[in-house]
Order: sequence, then C-alpha cells, then structure tokens
Amino acid sequence: MNRSRSEIGDRTRPRSGETMILFSVGGSKFAIAASAVEEIRDLTGLRKFSPEGANPRFGKVKQVLERQGRRYFVVESCEHFHLAMARPSRLLVLRHATAAITVDAIDCMVELNNIQALPHAFSGEERNWYRGLAVVKGKVIPVVRPDSFLSRADVALIEASLRGREAAAALGTGA
Amino acid sequence: MSLGSKARENFVLFPLGRKRFALSAEQVSELSRQREHGDEEQQSFPHTTRMLTGVVVRRNQIIPVADIAPALIGTDVPERKFYLIVNLTARGKINRAAVPVTGECELADAERLPAKSNLPRYVSGLLSVNDEIVEVLDLERLMAAEVRA
Repeated sequence: MNRSRSEIGDRTRPRSGETMILFSVGGSKFAIAASAVEEIRDLTGLRKFSPEGANPRFGKVKQVLERQGRRYFVVESCEHFHLAMARPSRLLVLRHATAAITVDAIDCMVELNNIQALPHAFSGEERNWYRGLAVVKGKVIPVVRPDSFLSRADVALIEASLRGREAAAALGTGA
Repeated sequence: MSLGSKARENFVLFPLGRKRFALSAEQVSELSRQREHGDEEQQSFPHTTRMLTGVVVRRNQIIPVADIAPALIGTDVPERKFYLIVNLTARGKINRAAVPVTGECELADAERLPAKSNLPRYVSGLLSVNDEIVEVLDLERLMAAEVRA
C-alpha cells in the first residue's frame, strides 16, 4: 500500500530544497521557512500590550502591531526560548496567524535539502519549538515551527480575552 | 554453557572522578575522540531537556550529548576528551547519544550481580572486577531521574 509522507509521519524532510531565513535571537541562530514569513520589518509601529486575563503562557506577547487593518500579536522570541538576553531589531510577520516575532537580526537566506528530526532524547519544550535540525556550514541550526510561537487557536484565545476586557471596560465607562 | 556456570556479559567500564561505572557493551556502539578544539565541537541551541548539553555531528548525523557526570559525581568533573556513543531508548525509539568520558575505557567480561536496594534506581546491577565493585548504569533511567529532579 502506498502511503504519503504525512501518513508515515515524515514531516521533517523538505520537498526538494526549502528556502529558509536564518535569524538570531540572544546569540542563538535559528531557521524558519521563508514560506512561513509574510514580511520582515523594523520595530516601528509596535504598541505595548498586556495579555491580562489570558493564559499566563501568553506572557511572551508584550506588543501588538496594527497592520493592514488587522491586529498582530508580537511574541518576544527570547522569552519564548527562555533566553536571558536579546536585542530585538527586526520583526518577522508570520503567515499562519495574526502573529509576529521579534528577532535580533536576520542573517541570510539558505536553501536546505536536509532537515534531520530532533533526536528523541530531547524531551522538553523544544519538541514543540522545532521541526528539526539542519547543518548549515558545519553549524547545527534548529528549524523552528512557526505555530509554536503562537498558534491560530492561541490568537483566538487572546482575542477572546481582549474582547472580554474591552466589553468590561465599555460597561464600566457607560455606567 | 556448562551446568552451574554463571551468565557473563560484556561491559564497557569507564572512570568518572574516583569511581568507575559500567554500561552494557551491547549499548555502546563506539568510543570516539573529540575533535581538535573539543569544546567547540559540541554545539548548543535552546532547549529544556536536562543533562543534554548540546549536540555533535558524527558521520552527518546529529547526536545529542548527554553529560551524566554531574548527576553521578557532582560538579568536580574531570576533563573528558572522548565520547562513548551509546544507543538510548527514548519515547519508544532507539537513538544515539554521546556520553563524554575521559577515554580510559576497558572492556570487561563479568557476571552482573543484582543491585542493592539502597542504590539509586538507575543502577541496574553490580560487577565485581578485580576486587572493585562497579555500578552498571541504566542510562534511560538515569536520564529520566534527572528530568524529574
């Protein structure tokens, strides 16, 4: 019986060469599929945001960006990866949801032909963070899973809690 | 096997600090010298799995490095220039891992004696080698214990 790659669970192997954007956060390098990124921009236009009332795991969302009439929730990448220090200078606007991530720098774009699965000995949060590992010029670089920063469901939850807050505020003002 | 003989197995013995530990030889696939500038050979990236200190690339394969020394002997760890490449069963799959060792490894043919109940659960047996008692490690259990710690 023929089985597709997704059926056999081999989701880590890119089709023939996948274009990746290499970026750095807090001294670590990462790769993300170029097809997962809508736009790379600077940090102008960000507004402070506090996800009060939402799940504490959304504490990594500290800013929002209004873009083309939509509100994008901005994830601090260093907080997502539990890194101590970061100097964000760029924003990657993601495609899969109204989400974006701060990064320190964009390094380059590369074509990857081989992504190895994350070894099973890695058993922590990284199993969700990474699609796999790639070797670029002798360096091992994790390939991130875009929806691990913020999934569509996460965005829906944050928006729901925001609507609740806004409704409560409106009631308070109207009273 | 003749009647009354004891089942003997092969073990790889390796020193950590003042003690020697053993792994079943079946679990060890190679002893590999760290490349020049050994510290730089090991690469790291953000993760939350304890005991794993990074990865090394061997024959185009990315192998996690499991530093078991701090869990076994504390922080006074000697310099280690070799890796024991071992097979680990994690999440139901067999994976390789690199365990940093000093390199003074020895292959021993010995009978595995039952571990005493007061020993940690990651000690799967004891060997009596030249008047020395050596603990046989269950790496999977050791790493799982470390995760829970």
